[in-house]
Amino acid sequence: MNNHEKAGNGATQKTSYRHTFRLAVLIIIFILAALLVRQILVPEAFGLEGSYRAAAVNEAREFPIRHIGEKACIECHDDIASLHDKDAHAAVPCESCHGPGSDHAQAEGDVAIRIPEGKEPCLACHRLLDARPSAFPQIRWREHYKFVGVEDTALDCIRCHSPHEPLFMDRDIRSARLHPLIHRCQDCHTERFDRESRRPDDHPAIFECSYCHKGIVEDFSQRAHSKVQCSTCHMFFKESDFAGRIIRDSDPRFCLLCHREADFRSSDAPPGIEWPGHLEDVAMEPGDREKRCVDCHQQRIHKIMERSESDE
Amino acid sequence: MDFVFPNEANVTWTVMIVLYPFITGLVAGAFIVSSLFHVFGRENLKAVARYSLVSAFVFLIFAPLPLLVHLGHPERAFNIMITPNFSSAMAGFGFIYTAYLLLVLLEIWFSLRSEFIARAKGKGLAAWICRLILLYNLEEDESTKRTDHKITRFLAGLGIPLACLLHGYVGFLFGALKANPWWSTPLMFVIFIFSAIVSGIAVIIFHYFVVSWINGWKIDQVCVRTLAKYLWGFMIVAVALELLEILSLAYKQTEEWEVLRTLIDQKLFFSYIIFQFLILSLIPFLMLAVASLVKLKDRLAYALIWTASTMLLFQVLLMRWNVVIGGQLLSKSLRGFTNYFPGIWDREGLIVAAIIFTLPFGILYVFHRIIPLFPGAVKVRGRNDDQVTDTTAGSGT
Amino acid sequence: MSNRSWTRRDLIKLMAAAPSLLLIVWGPSSSRGQDESDYDAHAHHWGYAVDTTRCIGCGNCMRACRAENDVPEGFYRTWVERYRVGIDGETHVDVADSKTLIFAELSGEISKAFFVPKLCNHCEKSVCTQVCPVGASFQTPDGVVLVDEKHCIGCGYCVQACPYGSRFIDPHTHTAGKCTLCYHRITKGEEPACVAMCPMGARIFGDLNDPRSKLATILRQNRYRVLRPEMGTHPKCYYQGLDREVV
Repeated sequence: MNNHEKAGNGATQKTSYRHTFRLAVLIIIFILAALLVRQILVPEAFGLEGSYRAAAVNEAREFPIRHIGEKACIECHDDIASLHDKDAHAAVPCESCHGPGSDHAQAEGDVAIRIPEGKEPCLACHRLLDARPSAFPQIRWREHYKFVGVEDTALDCIRCHSPHEPLFMDRDIRSARLHPLIHRCQDCHTERFDRESRRPDDHPAIFECSYCHKGIVEDFSQRAHSKVQCSTCHMFFKESDFAGRIIRDSDPRFCLLCHREADFRSSDAPPGIEWPGHLEDVAMEPGDREKRCVDCHQQRIHKIMERSESDE
Repeated sequence: MDFVFPNEANVTWTVMIVLYPFITGLVAGAFIVSSLFHVFGRENLKAVARYSLVSAFVFLIFAPLPLLVHLGHPERAFNIMITPNFSSAMAGFGFIYTAYLLLVLLEIWFSLRSEFIARAKGKGLAAWICRLILLYNLEEDESTKRTDHKITRFLAGLGIPLACLLHGYVGFLFGALKANPWWSTPLMFVIFIFSAIVSGIAVIIFHYFVVSWINGWKIDQVCVRTLAKYLWGFMIVAVALELLEILSLAYKQTEEWEVLRTLIDQKLFFSYIIFQFLILSLIPFLMLAVASLVKLKDRLAYALIWTASTMLLFQVLLMRWNVVIGGQLLSKSLRGFTNYFPGIWDREGLIVAAIIFTLPFGILYVFHRIIPLFPGAVKVRGRNDDQVTDTTAGSGT
Repeated sequence: MSNRSWTRRDLIKLMAAAPSLLLIVWGPSSSRGQDESDYDAHAHHWGYAVDTTRCIGCGNCMRACRAENDVPEGFYRTWVERYRVGIDGETHVDVADSKTLIFAELSGEISKAFFVPKLCNHCEKSVCTQVCPVGASFQTPDGVVLVDEKHCIGCGYCVQACPYGSRFIDPHTHTAGKCTLCYHRITKGEEPACVAMCPMGARIFGDLNDPRSKLATILRQNRYRVLRPEMGTHPKCYYQGLDREVV
């Protein structure tokens, strides 16, 4: 092709595009080839639901499920489950301690599931950390061992606390009565507080049991168990729909956690007995063998008072 | 101040991602210099016009290399063009890069066509390569030359916004990211473009001096002084924008200022305050001011200009480092920092970075053996057997 | 290479050919790939809630997630942060040990301390899906933000873009990794592993489309907020009891 353009002096000067023809063709071929290759390479189902490969949604569903849930465990282990569901760990899923159970369930037990060892699996939840809600049961294990008179620190927690029945509550947790836990200013005070409000030093100690149960606390402090905290036997947790209630049944196995004679207990340990040998030793009447510890040892603990007897 | 989100302990964008905007910055800057000649008719720059265009092309070829080294799946790199998600600035990379590559390629083809034809008429491998490049069409006369010139001008003009886009989108990529307070600013797009131009001019000056010194060529005094003035002007704008960004943050003192201040005071004190601003910006500014405004003897002026250019080259590299790495050192929890040191022998380490950066200069030398990059260079000293092969009558177009 | 100039006829031919050519090469892609399945993704809109007052920092969620999803050590699809506000007013934040995922006891007097579980917020307007250059980061019709591991190129832009630090580059697959809300579980009627394994009920999962789901109920009955609302990401993970120290 020949085109003409004017030069500065008015005379027309030719420009020739002939030599660009091959180049232009090459470029067009390149662009078309690129578009064609693109069409071939675009993955199927791209752009159907949005700017992504729609098949990826179904692919994401195809990963194996590893944690199978309590129902699958109960199919074979309903004996453990029935203990577990009545004690303090009822809300703790099986697989949170034992790890994912899919392999174990699929092999119907031929492949072992993890059995936690040592103290760490327990301390992961029950180590005393200042960030944990104070009402949650937590300990410093060395202090705890000293308190209950265990000298041998190599012993694990499960020596006394069966992981499936740590406290022997022996009661359907979900139907137990709630205990109100007063711990916030607005539980009593209706007026608004400004930012600078602090609890005055002479504020009554309302966060303690003695505020409502003065009589019981005074009585308790005179008796053998005065060093034990109220919350050890009466488990208060923050009000919730599943965790912890007041122990009212006084199951003997709970007392045995501290008072069972064992060769690993030190000389400072609380007085221990043999069980169920002790029952044989002290039973005088036929009905005595079914009694609970508190039926005979009430005086060691505290008076059971009617609510009207304690100071409000 | 010592908490980072647990997933932030590792830095994702490494020195490769520092290198990539640096290289595309060189491309954009070199191209602007070439366009200053081809479009705006700055005849002073004739001596480096061809070199700047070709070096823009060579750096451009190597620009994707750090990205490919960084990608988790480089074999899927073309997904960016096959299934681009256009809400992402990064998706623009494939198309902008390809378009720009095509443009620069075409501009070289048209502006150097006469040189290719002259070389193609000879013998040997170089001649065969030139014939291939010309698509075996060696026609040439006044009309074709006029066409070539016209198209070159058009492409050089079109290339300016495209170069700004090529480098600016990287700035936008950082600046539009609201999650990172060190990156998030509307100025990032402009800062990147202007510092790119600074680095482009600086690398041309740097390389021109080095090559001339090695080959014993006479320096084109007017060209160098013109470049120095452009460099001075652009660096003032670039540094002013960088300062504006940080001063604005320091004044507003919004929530993220605490962690940003600690970032600057502690992690980036040397690289940002001392080096990027004080040593590598202030000193070149003064040097170029003197070289541009004061009448100096050639040798002294050249020394100042070359030193300033080298320092500015490092300044731009350091700026990229401070932006890319600095932004990842600080935690999005606004509570702490992590650490980064590029490994030496790692896949994304310093040795690989050094190789990627020096390879383009090697390729430039190979090109120079086919078509000389500095036509019209005159020897003033040196060996007699080291002749400049300048086979064309006209040059630079 | 003819000398004839372009005529109007040539131009019309070109204009006719070009659109059809473009349609062929840029038309809709094949519709195969969407298999029939019993799960209707359009019927659900999954959400999540965290009650930070219940978290005891036991780490069950982190361990469950790691086991369920093969999360590499040192990276987290979900994690728990511990905040300790000292009596001097200084706040110290940490996460559990990266190997055992158990919190250790720390010394120092505090005036306040608590745990905050974190995970991907599955934002309605997520930045990660906006910035993914290849469309490998996307939101499913039921509101879950996922990564297409076969398509991801590992550029890491999404990791930079997430304001919550939820994403990482998996060192084994070299693609982006993040919490998937256990998509393989929730689409089969299960809960995510972290929710199922939490003994305190601190994590709640449910269908925002179903007003009678546990999630919708507690959102209605309690006061919740999201992390970094000023980012405009509209997260679908709601927090109760979030302290001002938490970002």
